[in-house]
Formats: sequence, structure tokens, C-alpha cells
Amino acid sequence: MRSAFLWLLDKEWRELLVSRAWWVLLLGMGPLAGASFIGAVSVYGEVSGLNGTSAGVGEALSPLVGVWAPTFSACELAAVFLLPFVAIRVVAGDRQSGALKLELQRGMSPFARIAAKAAILLAGWMVAMLPPLSAILLWRSYGGSIYPPELATLTLGHVLNAGLTIALAAAMASLTEHPSTAAILTLSFTIGTWIVSFFAAVQGGWWERAAGYTPAAMVAQFQHGLVRLDTVLIAPILTLTGLGFAAIWMRLGAAVSRRVYESTGLVLVAAAAIFVCTFCAVSWDTSESRSNSFPESDERALQQIKAPLLIVAHLAQEDPRRFDLEHHALSKLRRVMPKLKVQYVSATSIGLFEQTNPYYGEIWYYLGGRKTMSRVTTAEGVLEAIYSLAGVAPPPENDEAIFRGHPLAVAPTGAGAIFYGIWPCLIVAGGFFVRWRLK
Amino acid sequence: MLFEVNGLCKRFGRIAALSDVSFQVRAGEVLGLIGPNGAGKSTLFECLGGVLPSDSGTMRSGGRPVGTRERPSLLFYVPDGIAPWPAQSVRWALDFTLGFFGGRPALRDEVIDQLDLRQLLGQPLGTLSKGQRKRALLAIGLLTPQPALLIDEPFEGLDLRQARDIAAALRAHAARGRTLFLSIHQIGDAARFCDRFVLLSGGRVCGEGTVQELATLAEVREGSRTYDDLEEVFLALT
Repeated sequence: MRSAFLWLLDKEWRELLVSRAWWVLLLGMGPLAGASFIGAVSVYGEVSGLNGTSAGVGEALSPLVGVWAPTFSACELAAVFLLPFVAIRVVAGDRQSGALKLELQRGMSPFARIAAKAAILLAGWMVAMLPPLSAILLWRSYGGSIYPPELATLTLGHVLNAGLTIALAAAMASLTEHPSTAAILTLSFTIGTWIVSFFAAVQGGWWERAAGYTPAAMVAQFQHGLVRLDTVLIAPILTLTGLGFAAIWMRLGAAVSRRVYESTGLVLVAAAAIFVCTFCAVSWDTSESRSNSFPESDERALQQIKAPLLIVAHLAQEDPRRFDLEHHALSKLRRVMPKLKVQYVSATSIGLFEQTNPYYGEIWYYLGGRKTMSRVTTAEGVLEAIYSLAGVAPPPENDEAIFRGHPLAVAPTGAGAIFYGIWPCLIVAGGFFVRWRLK
Repeated sequence: MLFEVNGLCKRFGRIAALSDVSFQVRAGEVLGLIGPNGAGKSTLFECLGGVLPSDSGTMRSGGRPVGTRERPSLLFYVPDGIAPWPAQSVRWALDFTLGFFGGRPALRDEVIDQLDLRQLLGQPLGTLSKGQRKRALLAIGLLTPQPALLIDEPFEGLDLRQARDIAAALRAHAARGRTLFLSIHQIGDAARFCDRFVLLSGGRVCGEGTVQELATLAEVREGSRTYDDLEEVFLALT
């Protein structure tokens, strides 16, 4: 005999199957992923030497950056513009139709109710991810190289992102009377995170720290094969907070004041948990090219340096050299030396009128009571400065450890037929079949 | 007595939808909640059903207070004017009621025949007419296991023949011990069908009892005039 929860799961699945929003998501994912994959493979092939371009340019080409990040970007688009409507339909539909008034009379934890909806929505999202996941098989059929850890990381990132979207949409759908209001609030929240990222680029400081945890920034980390423990912990906390919020506000029979108190308590607990997680500095580089890390020999050498390192960079927030320094050197350095402190000094945000200042552009390194200065922002330059300060001999270059890349000079044969033809036909056929089956 | 309600109040801003509502529901009876439009009948049922929070008031059963969490084991409320699971079939809705709410499978075929739903089993709930949907909702309510069934406007949307058939079906279930608490705004329908009545007007209980008891109450309040039917009693007391 089925439990009430299994009956609820069955009901939520049936409601998803009749959701037009979900079928639109499925229909759209094929061409979205297909266009991204075909474009990425075409460019990758040309850079690899296809159609007479210089051979050898394709060395150090990584499928993660060249093919998978663009292909799976379809998931990011769908998560922002299509998935919220699916979630809102599933959560708000019961309230609109009056079914919620019946279902609430079955004694059951509100968290169990929302968990059933979330589980089905996540399953629905996994179905929607079939086009980009099938691109992996297609790439394999072309003879392309596949490195499972980086693909698993990429997939995890998009699943976590979908969880965040589902939780946000569910919370808004439970809080508001009408689905359209929920949709507006959900999209407003998303735009709000983009604004945070914009302020982070301009202002830096706490804005930059906060922007690191926006969905777009989280997805970007995973797209480069980087798994950060703080992100992996914070994303589920945010998801559970959103779902908890939805569960609280789904209880129509509870007084509004009580729901407000419970929501406030939930937000405070979540904020405390997130604050603790921000101190988890552990991360893993799952990319085959080790694009997030220094060569292993350099990492071993850096780990021998126990004294705290302070770097003071006289570079403005929007100076491209600061971006280079952060992206190519300091982000990798922080992973190896958790005690690293970095300070940026500038009077302006653009640095344009600070060029005449003799200190502008200097990068000072302080280690064990000694200091040195450099203006080089490359990884090699930063390492050279640190080694000279620490009195450590740089490790010899290891040719075998250098990532040579996986050039593949092929055209995306058959991809158009699959993503633009077969997938949409399958979805339409599936829709008719489900309609017939549910009668 | 199955349960009693004491001092139930509910405000929507400045509007007092329910004020100090108290009454008793006896086991196995058909109790009618009657009142004009806007009297607070649906609000009362939603508060009792636990889908609308009340501002104050208590429910007691067997001498013990019944909290909001215990109410689902005591009563089931069938709202008016809803179209639950509109894309799902009537057949599925009944199966869901039996499985999710722990309903009574032995009654399934009987309820389908009593409410003339056999032809509609394969149709999505959202495509049914108002009267057909009402019958489907009644079937859902009759299949639930709770001892008390609250139904908001059970005859709304039904023609005369259907209303009489529904009334007979409800009577049959009441005869087997199910307590029915029905919100009815047509006094004539209520008078034909219910054993006792709670008169609600302006959010207040104006009277509770059988037609005889209410008539006596009206005579006391209004003077020596005698009252023959529920309509006159209702007009006198509200």
C-alpha cells in the first residue's frame, strides 16, 4: 500500500507532465544546447586546424572551455528564463485551482509537501538536461576527448543552479497570491544578483565578496572545473532556505504573524550557517588542464612556505591588469596558500588618472620580514617574486606535466539533425503520448 | 456531541467576518448552516477546515481541546467553487482521495453510482460543468474517512432532479453515521434536508436548533406570533 508521500509524488509528477511550461522548457533546450554545441565545435575545429588554418594553434585547447562551457550555457539561460515558470506553475497551481485547500487537510509536514514538489521539479530539470548531456555522446562519436571529473563538476554546477532557481521560484509562488506576481518577483531577484555583480566590478570590497555567491558566479566556477567547498555548502543552504520559506507560507491555516516569525527565524539560521561556510577555504581543481591551479611542482614548493604572505597591489578596481593578476595568479595562489592576504590600494576605481603616480602599478610582496616589488601580473611573474622573497629555488619545468590540449578538427556532423529535428519531434510526440496516457 | 466550537472570531481588517461564533455538532446528524450572502458561512467553514487562520476561538471534542493539527482527523471540508487538479481525470481524483487521504475504497463504486459519475470518470476535472464538478467534489468528500464532513453549498449548480438525488445520497451516508455539516443559502433546500440548523447573520450566530426550537426562540423574541416554517423563523431571527 502506497504511503501518502508517494501518492503526493505521483500527483506532483502528473502535474508536471501536464505543465505547458515544462514542455516549452524541454522543447527549447534542444535548439538552445544545439546552437551552443554546434557553434562551439565549429570554432574548436577551426582553431584545431580544420579547413586549412594553422596546425599547432590548437595546442592547449581544452574541451571544457572550448566546448562544454558554451554547450552547457544553455542550461544557465534556461534556468533563468524558463525554469522559474515551471516551478511557479507546480507550486502556485494548487493554490489557484483550490487543490491546496483539500491537500492541506491531510495531516503532513509542510516540508514534506514542498520536498515532493522540489524532487519532481529537479527530476524534470534532469530530463531537460538531456540535450547537453547527449552532446557528450556526440562529441565522443567525433573522436573527442572526455575527462569525466570536469564534466561531472560542470553538471553539478548546473544542477545546483537549478536547485537555487526552483527554491527561489517556490518561495515567491507560496508568498504571493498570483503566479504572475511570483514570476515578476523571481525575475527581479535574478536581476538583483546581476546588479550585485555589476557593483562588485565597480566597487569591489564586500560587493565583490557577495557577488562570489550569486548563481552566475557559482556557475562560472563550476564551468572552469573548480569545486569550492564553501560554494558546495552554501548553494544547498540557500536552496533549503527557499524551500523552507515556501513550506512556511504554504500553510494557509497558520496566522500571518506566525509565518513571519518562522520566516525570520529561518533567515537568521541560514545567514549564520552561510557565514560559517564562507570560512571553508578548501577547493578542488577538477579540470584536466589544471586551469585553476599552478603546476603541481610549483604548488609543492609554495606549500613549503609557512610564513604568512601579504601582497599589496597598487591597481584600481577596473584596471585590466588587476583582473589579470587576480584571474591568472592570485586566485590560484589563494588555493595553495590559505593564509595569503591581498590588499588593493587605489584612489580611483578606473585608475586612469593615477598613471602619473610613481606607485601606481606596483605590486609589493611581504614575507617573513622581507619585501620585494614587481609590476608583472602574470602567474610566472608572481611566482618568481615569491620564490625570490622566500629564498626558494623555482622547481624545474616538467614537460610531461604541461597540458598539451586535445585539438579536434571536425565539423559537428549530425548535430543539427539531432538538436533541431529529432529532439523537438520527440518532445512533441512525448507530449501527445502523455496526454493520451493520462486520460 | 461530536465537537463544539466556542468563541470563534475572524476579522479581515476592520470587517468582523465572524464574532464569537459558538455551536455544537452532534454525531450522526445533518446540521445546516444557513444565512444570507456575506453572513460568514464560507469563512466559518474555512476556519474550521484549517485553511484560514481564525483570530480566536476553540474547538473541543470528547471534553478535550482539538488543536489545528488534530482537526484533519475529525473533519473534512469540501469548499465551493474550486476546480482541483483540473488536468487530471475524475477517476484519478477519486483514486487520489482514497490513497492520499486514506479514504474508504469499499464506498468507491457506490459513490460513483449515487452521484452519477460513471460517464465522467475519464474526463479531466477542468472540463466539467459546474454541476458535474460539484458532484465530483461531493464524491471526494464522501470517500474521505473523517467522521464529520463539511460541505459548502452542496446543491449549488445542480438542477432539481440532481439536487434530490444528491440529497438522497447524502442522507444514505448520514444514516450510516457520517456527520454532515452543510452550508446552504437556499432556506427551502435546508429545511427539507437538515435535522438541525445554525443561523448565521453578520458573522454572529442568531440561533441554533431544530425548526421547532428556533420557532420557539423567534416567538420569544418577537412576541406572540407563531412561526410555521424555517423561512419565517430565519427572517425573524436574523
